[in-house]
Amino acid sequence: MKVLIIDDSSTMRRIHRNILLEAGCKDEDIIDAEDGEKALQLANSNNIGLFIVDWNMPHLNGLQFVKIIRSMEKYSLTPVVMITSEAAKYNVMEAITSGVTNYIVKPVKAEIFLEKISKYLT
Amino acid sequence: MKAMYINPFLNASMNLFKEYLNVSVTVSPPVLLKDPNELKEVSAIIGLAGDTVGAVVLTFSRETAIKMVSKFSGLSFMAITNEVIDGVGEMVNIIAGNAKKDLEDYRIEISLPGVITGNSYNINWPKGVPVISIPFQSEFGDFSVNVSMRDMKV
Repeated sequence: MKVLIIDDSSTMRRIHRNILLEAGCKDEDIIDAEDGEKALQLANSNNIGLFIVDWNMPHLNGLQFVKIIRSMEKYSLTPVVMITSEAAKYNVMEAITSGVTNYIVKPVKAEIFLEKISKYLT
Repeated sequence: MKAMYINPFLNASMNLFKEYLNVSVTVSPPVLLKDPNELKEVSAIIGLAGDTVGAVVLTFSRETAIKMVSKFSGLSFMAITNEVIDGVGEMVNIIAGNAKKDLEDYRIEISLPGVITGNSYNINWPKGVPVISIPFQSEFGDFSVNVSMRDMKV
């Protein structure tokens, strides 16, 4: 199963990748993008089984990205985990109503992140 | 600027550095930043818009920035690299985003972070609003989180 990590921070992309590798994902099954626009190109040319997406990014933010993929038949039910610093309740509600499956507030310890995403990796 | 604006940023900073990064950190009482341009060599800035407008600046010495980002990313940096700059930007993003949890009476949008390095630069703080500096002492050196916000709610 391919996992697409979308975050404008190279630090966060690396941290997420390392956690996924620890969880048993193969390196070649983890792809990443630094904004929503590039992520859309990768989503179109791959079959993604799990999206891990940040909110605040240039060009196309995480929320806009989620709304677009939810309108695509092949990703209408694919798990989308949003991991973002946005901690206000109204942000969580907006994300969930836009199609986010699970919402995680950064910073999050690796073990808690893993616990939350492991059900989507099987 | 209302005093209630400061605690959310103090708490978010302590959560990031002490709870998440497990760095030994203490905080001193917030002070008015007398010269708003007197910041350290590596500063990460994030803008706030919506019911309040303003900015949050996390500022480190070069050495502290390198050590803090090394701890954050799990890599060992020896100089200010693009990765260190990215890491400092992500830290201010986390502080500003997390602070919103305790400012729920206000609808606030945060900008993408920017990072400035060097010995002489100016920050475009909101005009006519004081800048409050929260000074931290850590095992990696002193740093501060600086906040200036203007209430836009009528």
